[in-house]
Amino acid sequence: MDLILNRMDYLQVGVTSQKTMKLIPASRHRATQKVVIGDHDGVVMCFGMKKGEAAAVFKTLPGPKIARLELGGVINTPQEKIFIAAASEIRGFTKRGKQFLSFETNLTESIKAMHISGSDLFLSASYIYNHYCDCKDQHYYLSGDKINDVICLPVERLSRITPVLACQDRVLRVLQGSDVMYAVEVPGPPTVLALHNGNGGDSGEDLLFGTSDGKLALIQITTSKPVRKWEIQNEKKRGGILCIDSFDIVGDGVKDLLVGRDDGMVEVYSFDNANEPVLRFDQMLSESVTSIQGGCVGKDSYDEIVVSTYSGWVTGLTTEPIHKESGPGEELKINQEMQNKISSLRNELEHLQYKVLQERENYQQSSQSSKAKSAVPSFGINDKFTLNKDDASYSLILEVQTAIDNVLIQSDVPIDLLDVDKNSAVVSFSSCDSESNDNFLLATYRCQADTTRLELKIRSIEGQYGTLQAYVTPRIQPKTCQVRQYHIKPLSLHQRTHFIDHDRKGEGVFKSDNISTISILKDVLSKEATKRKINLNISYEINEVSVKHTLKLIHPKLEYQLLLAKKVQLIDALKELQIHEGNTNFLIPEYHCILEEADHLQEEYKKQPAHLERLYGMITDLFIDKFKFKGTNVKTKVPLLLEILDSYDQNALISFFDAA
Amino acid sequence: MTETEIVTSLCPMYGSRFGYALSNGTVGVYDKTSRYWRIKSKNHAMSIHAFDLNSDGVNELITGWSNGKVDARSDRTGEVIFKDNFSSAIAGVVEGDYRMDGHIQLICCSVDGEIRGYLPGTAEMRGNLMDTSAEQDLIRELSQKKQNLLLELRNYEENAKAELASPLNEADGHRGIIPANTRLHTTLSVSLGNETQTAHTELRISTSNDTIIRAVLIFAEGIFTGESHVVHPSIHNLSSSICIPIVPPKDVPVDLHLKAFVGYRSSTQFHVFESTRQLPRFSMYALTSLDPASEPISYVNFTIAERAQRVVVWLGQNFLLPEDTHIQNAPFQVCFTSLRNGGHLHIKIKLSGEITINTDDIDLAGDIIQSMASFFAIEDLQVEADFPVYFEELRKVLVKVDEYHSVHQKLSADMADHSNLIRSLLVGAEDARLMRDMKTMKSRYMELYDLNRDLLNGYKIRCNNHTELLGNLKAVNQAIQRAGRLRVGKPKNQVITACRDAIRSNNINTLFKIMRVGTASS
Repeated sequence: MDLILNRMDYLQVGVTSQKTMKLIPASRHRATQKVVIGDHDGVVMCFGMKKGEAAAVFKTLPGPKIARLELGGVINTPQEKIFIAAASEIRGFTKRGKQFLSFETNLTESIKAMHISGSDLFLSASYIYNHYCDCKDQHYYLSGDKINDVICLPVERLSRITPVLACQDRVLRVLQGSDVMYAVEVPGPPTVLALHNGNGGDSGEDLLFGTSDGKLALIQITTSKPVRKWEIQNEKKRGGILCIDSFDIVGDGVKDLLVGRDDGMVEVYSFDNANEPVLRFDQMLSESVTSIQGGCVGKDSYDEIVVSTYSGWVTGLTTEPIHKESGPGEELKINQEMQNKISSLRNELEHLQYKVLQERENYQQSSQSSKAKSAVPSFGINDKFTLNKDDASYSLILEVQTAIDNVLIQSDVPIDLLDVDKNSAVVSFSSCDSESNDNFLLATYRCQADTTRLELKIRSIEGQYGTLQAYVTPRIQPKTCQVRQYHIKPLSLHQRTHFIDHDRKGEGVFKSDNISTISILKDVLSKEATKRKINLNISYEINEVSVKHTLKLIHPKLEYQLLLAKKVQLIDALKELQIHEGNTNFLIPEYHCILEEADHLQEEYKKQPAHLERLYGMITDLFIDKFKFKGTNVKTKVPLLLEILDSYDQNALISFFDAA
Repeated sequence: MTETEIVTSLCPMYGSRFGYALSNGTVGVYDKTSRYWRIKSKNHAMSIHAFDLNSDGVNELITGWSNGKVDARSDRTGEVIFKDNFSSAIAGVVEGDYRMDGHIQLICCSVDGEIRGYLPGTAEMRGNLMDTSAEQDLIRELSQKKQNLLLELRNYEENAKAELASPLNEADGHRGIIPANTRLHTTLSVSLGNETQTAHTELRISTSNDTIIRAVLIFAEGIFTGESHVVHPSIHNLSSSICIPIVPPKDVPVDLHLKAFVGYRSSTQFHVFESTRQLPRFSMYALTSLDPASEPISYVNFTIAERAQRVVVWLGQNFLLPEDTHIQNAPFQVCFTSLRNGGHLHIKIKLSGEITINTDDIDLAGDIIQSMASFFAIEDLQVEADFPVYFEELRKVLVKVDEYHSVHQKLSADMADHSNLIRSLLVGAEDARLMRDMKTMKSRYMELYDLNRDLLNGYKIRCNNHTELLGNLKAVNQAIQRAGRLRVGKPKNQVITACRDAIRSNNINTLFKIMRVGTASS
């Protein structure tokens, strides 16, 4: 059965953060639920849908930006109390909008993540985690890297308190009191945690998490060790995961997995007989999906997925069909509803336009006076700068609440801007003036109308480091632009793994299998030291075996790429044979295989066109760097090396490295 | 009319309308000589075609893009009324009754060989081919508008709040607060260049107080490599003014859309000052002092019924004159130097309204006359012209054309001879074969082989000859066009027809006479 969901936009509030929208439980099954959402203006809004119109239940006054919104209540009763985290304060509201709690925490940073369970409150700021019980401080932990999310395994089922922190350094930290019980290394920086099935699954210990590079996994957190259940790779290169919910939208009695990503993708996974997730539905919205929950909002007895987006849209993907099979009169009514909505919006717009015109005039007038000041309107930019492991490039994602007019990209190191399919902006490269060496790249992206999200792909050169700046100008009056800086690091194409150098006082030891890495590190350290006039002694030990080891590490990749290239070359010829001969029985099995996998192979080859060149580049660098440490320049021998690479044989290569 | 890039395809649309595509990813629709709409994409339009997809009786512009997209756009507004996606680039868009069922389809083909046909929408769909949720989209659009207006209102509110706060200080600069009376001045001038820089037109942008300009974006068509030019000074050289050299490659007026980011040194938010300046048509000519020695020998001469003051206004609008320039009343003379090649340009006006323009560049003379004609709304203008150097070159070209023509005839005759020879050789060889005289046959075939080689060589020569001939004929055609551009209205058409006639009758002297005085009869 295909899952067909229709999009219904309900309402727009201000810009929202991750996990700031919830549905308040209804009194009975499949009755319409109220939506509660908090935005960056600090407004908490609770509304329900009545005849296609959003009717507010309550709305609070503006305040500090709301970072999280959760529901809570006494355990084993409906969780319908609303808690918000704004700056360093936690506030609680009843479902009618009456404030019953205002708790000023002692955290110095503003709260980033929150989890609530009965009277237990788990909070985390950027690096600090705190556990409160009845607003009394219980436990505390300082994390080594940024905390993205916090959750606690269900207390009512496990009768122990096991908080889990999702940290940017690709680790889930499982706590007990104020100490780390154990740390779990995960495949990408985790951005969101959720209990499996909403209650921790069969064991009550099952935890779902999503990563900023788009991976999704289930893990069981037992008291002694983690048990990995399944993991979904991000093969389609979709965005990072921002929110997860469990809800039976398919209607087969098993809760499905609802996932929202930062590229606007909404996905539904259902579970097969082996309890493995299978993608059942996906739909693209145009901006980051910040919260997701299954429930019933638009019309009773029709299940739907409710999502909120970065710019504050609350949208339902409903099972309610758009075209209703009904009497002739009723269709008219639906149309009428729409028309009413449109005309009321039009009226509102007219009124606003008039007001804006007046204000514009005032603004113009104020610019005549010499004392007046003119402030730029601030706007939020939701940005993400991440390394893609697969194609060794960086992606820069910029998202603004209103349409972007243009983006200026400036870099003081040589980088390449790669083409991104999703990006429809017209790019134009400007010549860089010769007088200053600060500009290696100047490019403008002129966006098409209604672009609120822009994705760029950047390829840097390992060892060349500097700053990339993005000047973002949205289409709002008065026109302003904001600059964002991103650092391109010397070892820009290294992903963090979990053995790192150990620092002693005034001394650092770096170890790497790849001599090129060490060479870059050495260059960078001495450059920085000279800049700060620090006396630095660098000594290094080169293990000859390490070169061989690195070559061996590269070997399988290189061999695979070469084989792939060879196979792809053969495809056309084989296809022609197939057509001419009518059958392919005379071909050896290997060629049969190629023919069968032709489409797949071609696709794979198309996806990574420059991969082989990059591997060649790596080997060449390694070759040069190896001899740089010995003090000899071998650049003249590079053509010879390339020749050997062209007719690749591992042993020949190694002996060339040894011999030279 | 001139477009900004190479025109890759054209297609007739409806009545006097036609669609066009450029190599930089632009597609659009013209009605006669005025542009209805255009859009630019980062992809390239591979194929355009006119087809009535929504059955409203008017063709839409169907575009097949290099990224596999196909879209149909309304000929009037450019609004997308239908779109589809292929997995690879589009190879072509055509129409035809592909299934032989009497229905004309729109057929799109991708480079991978995928073909899709589209039948026109039926009348019941009332032209609505997109998703049925058009109303939803409208609501979304209106809400977005509302949100933008609310945001703008809030901006003004916050601004008012900031005003009430304390006077300007350092922290304000960081947040991007600047004095409200900050103005942006732009001036265009001509710079003669120095050792490091060649001569150019200079755009100077400055703020009216101590605020700095972080960066300047200039969007303009046809004068930069891309559609924009960016100036981003290094952090140490930030100041309240920036000079930008501009070298427009052609003498056309260009609109410069400027966006300047204004703030303070430590700002992370900047005000964007937007303004549009027009670069005058003849911005690459610098006013120089009078020097009769430098007067070019070529000239055009004509009389207009305008006061000299009006000519001065025209000069001011089309040239970048220094601010202190004061031109006395007629008669007067002004001199310019081209920044591109150092050529001179003299414009003289007599009391009688007679104008003489001295320049060796016939294109420039044509541009000036056309510019004056449109400025003074002159309908017909007869001009006397003389460009000895250019005419001499043209004469050489015409001689060459004759030569190439005769060579062409000779080569054709040779070829005919050769083909006769081939026939006889072939018959001879076949005869020899039938008579089993292998030796003769072999030698005949050897001869044939040599002849073939000669033919091939001859063909190559003919080819080269032909391209040369075409090139020269193009030059002749251009010369006629140029002679035409020196006149306006009826005399212009007369010159062009008369020149064509002269070429046809191979009367070179008459041709030059026409170019000089405008008519054949004296």
